Amino acid sequence: MAGLAASFGSGAMTNSIPEMDDADAFFVIGSNTTEQHPLVAARIIEAMRLKNAKLVVADPRRIGLAKLADIHLMHRVGTDVALLNGMMHVILEKGWENKAFIAERTENFDSLREVVKRYPPEKTAAITGVDPGTLSEAAELYAKSAKTMLFYAMGITQHTTGTDNVKTLANLAMLTGHIGFPSTGVNPLRGQNNVQGACDMGALPDVFSGYQRVSDDDVIRKFERAWGVGGLSREPGLTVTEILHEAGTGGIKGLYIMGENPAVSDPEARAVERCLRKVEFLVVQDIFMTETAKFAHVILPAVSFAEKTGTFTNTERRVQLSRQAMKPLKGCLDEWKIICGVATRAGYRMGYDSPEEILREINEVTPSYRGITWKRLETVWGIAWPCPNEDHPGTPFLHKERFVRGLGHFDPREYMAAFEVPDEQYPFLLTTGRVGAQYHTGTMTRKIPLLEREAPGAVLEISPEDAVALRVREGSMVGLESRRGELRLPVHLNPDIPKGTVFGTFHFSEKNMNALTICALDPVAKIPEYKSCAVSVRRL
Amino acid sequence: MKTLAKEMLEGLLRDISRKALVYCPQRNERGDLLLLPLGEGTTDGCIGKTPISAKICLFPQIEDVVMFAGDGISKVTDGRETVVFGVRPCDMRGIVFMDRFMSRDNLVDPHYFARREAMTCMVVACNEPPSETCFCTATGKRPFLTATHYDVQFFDAGDYFIALAGSKKGNRILEDRHFKAAAEKDIEKVKRIKENSSAAGMAAGELEDAIKKLAEDRVDGLFWEKLALRCIKCGGCAYVCPTCTCYNVQDYPFEFGYRRCRSWDSCLFSGFTRETSGHNPRATQGARLARRYEHKLKYDLMKYHEIGCVGCGRCSDVCPVGLGAIEIVREIALMP
Repeated sequence: MAGLAASFGSGAMTNSIPEMDDADAFFVIGSNTTEQHPLVAARIIEAMRLKNAKLVVADPRRIGLAKLADIHLMHRVGTDVALLNGMMHVILEKGWENKAFIAERTENFDSLREVVKRYPPEKTAAITGVDPGTLSEAAELYAKSAKTMLFYAMGITQHTTGTDNVKTLANLAMLTGHIGFPSTGVNPLRGQNNVQGACDMGALPDVFSGYQRVSDDDVIRKFERAWGVGGLSREPGLTVTEILHEAGTGGIKGLYIMGENPAVSDPEARAVERCLRKVEFLVVQDIFMTETAKFAHVILPAVSFAEKTGTFTNTERRVQLSRQAMKPLKGCLDEWKIICGVATRAGYRMGYDSPEEILREINEVTPSYRGITWKRLETVWGIAWPCPNEDHPGTPFLHKERFVRGLGHFDPREYMAAFEVPDEQYPFLLTTGRVGAQYHTGTMTRKIPLLEREAPGAVLEISPEDAVALRVREGSMVGLESRRGELRLPVHLNPDIPKGTVFGTFHFSEKNMNALTICALDPVAKIPEYKSCAVSVRRL
Repeated sequence: MKTLAKEMLEGLLRDISRKALVYCPQRNERGDLLLLPLGEGTTDGCIGKTPISAKICLFPQIEDVVMFAGDGISKVTDGRETVVFGVRPCDMRGIVFMDRFMSRDNLVDPHYFARREAMTCMVVACNEPPSETCFCTATGKRPFLTATHYDVQFFDAGDYFIALAGSKKGNRILEDRHFKAAAEKDIEKVKRIKENSSAAGMAAGELEDAIKKLAEDRVDGLFWEKLALRCIKCGGCAYVCPTCTCYNVQDYPFEFGYRRCRSWDSCLFSGFTRETSGHNPRATQGARLARRYEHKLKYDLMKYHEIGCVGCGRCSDVCPVGLGAIEIVREIALMP
């Protein structure tokens, strides 16, 4: 988010999903799309099947989409900046850059040229493991296709260099002019049905709804007026990982956690547990009992999507109305009613009477949502923001003719290694991710027998080569250890994983990979480096 | 033989609904055509091809089969009188296929047959294929029924239907006040409709060729593995298939005990064939895709002398990655 906002002025998918049908090429990096966004992957697959679109996949694992791809760049975990700088080096050397676009729409190009000069193919190969020929083919396909869409997900962001990775992707798109037009763009695939909506509504430390900064006096005055209060803070708050840390050191005394399960989902699970025990007052609001809620002083039972009416904003910025299909279960309340009740008892009379009234306030205080009214949502399949007024059709793709921030800003980044790299004591690189049949910490999916049957428990995926060296076979138990924790679990031999790398998920709280992951944060976005840490694997 | 003016259809269904649960194709608020209980949507005269066949009225996606409450165990069956209007000939063939499967080896499925015996099927023959993925004619069938598997079969004669009864239940339906006696010319009309009907979503030669190659074991694992790279394992093809009958069984707690439910399953899920030991005889997605099509186009043919595909094309409609029967048959036919 932060990376894209700095480069373009807006942190969201620049283009929309239906545009995929007309793309000539796709570049997918750090996204296991067939497992995590299967219907987006289906669009890629159909565009390839029916329209002969081309596909480049960059991923350290030979994921499903990589097997379908025209080119697979199997770069080492955490070397994305080097890989992308290497691609840009080739593009500039061969003159495949879009000179007119660079001249008219961007700034700071010279400094980009300076930096990528330092990434000739041989040096890039030494860092990433991708041979110069393949790198050049990928660069050519990306640069020379008329309409190329770039997709990424957590494989890009969950690194200490996450913001650098995103900025470098933005550089690549601007260098080739693959942004600001239909079927192009830099498109982060969001992980939940409404995570875009949560960001849009200001569930971030430094902005109000619609990314209006808390440091802006006019914005502060507007919200003070709308809410009838004074003295709103102009200071950005803390990020999630920082909040938990503060809770552990006593800097934060009370925590109110909604729809999140940090006891399993946050890195260094043992330290998280310590923080959750330490905090003086913990409230957890969720639809099922969770590992986090076990530490809570108060649990507030909320409702699932089927029990409530409201809007969701999906990955392509499209706001859609979702209607109640069943009455809330006994004892459960709509989240907005719970929040109104808590606020009122805390001394601020929050008296909304319906989701419609809440959306009306959103329309009033959020320029990008101004035209997305309840009445309109009742008659259409959703509207993509920005939508400044009620006659505006919505915006399927951003940055047409002009970037939101004016000129697109090249911010070249240098490659930096991951915070913790394998060494003699911990010789393997552990990368974590997800599988298609389970969702995050499994609080919902593990209650569904069919999904549990598809992915019934934690395994450690290792390459057959490493398995031979460790003298283990399919199903053998191994001890997995990092500087932060250890686990015992069975191995699954996966020929699609490179030697020296092991893979696990955080779906299974009883064998949680986050017991081992590292809480090293990206300095800007404060996302932990879930994708890379050093471990040892021992045959038991 | 009787006739029914089209504007009388709703009256007929309302008459029937006094004694039975009536399903017919209706539109929901978003305009999707679905097979719904009468009154749950709006009718606009379109019968079309609903995304899920009439199978859903007999074999619901999820149903209770046994209840455990206190010391008691009770079997749950649903024998409500049900009348389904708008069953397509392919759907009816699917139901006949399921009848045989659900009573094979003298193992009669009580839940299925409780519904089946209480069900009346009002088939509507297809003058025109309801969608471009229809290919019943490629399977050697026609878009109307010749054997009397139906209770009533309707032919669309423009502003009225010509209705023929195929069973006692069907005869009783035709006694309703909304029907009129058919005229001599209607016999001729039915004949002409039959002659002109077609469904051309697939060339007949392709299916024959694919069946032959499968029978001769000429389709190898590599072929399936390559295709299966596209499969996103959603199970949609099995869910919409009129002849798919696989289900899974789970127990769920409720206020007074446990309900044992069965729900649709799919051979494209990895857990479907995985054994307790962890061994999976269909270990890869390619092997699972092969199993699906070998079952339909090879083993069913060996066992029942007919393929397990009625040519409705629903799997091709629903598959997001082009792995429905039409595409798979074409890929096999294109093989050398």
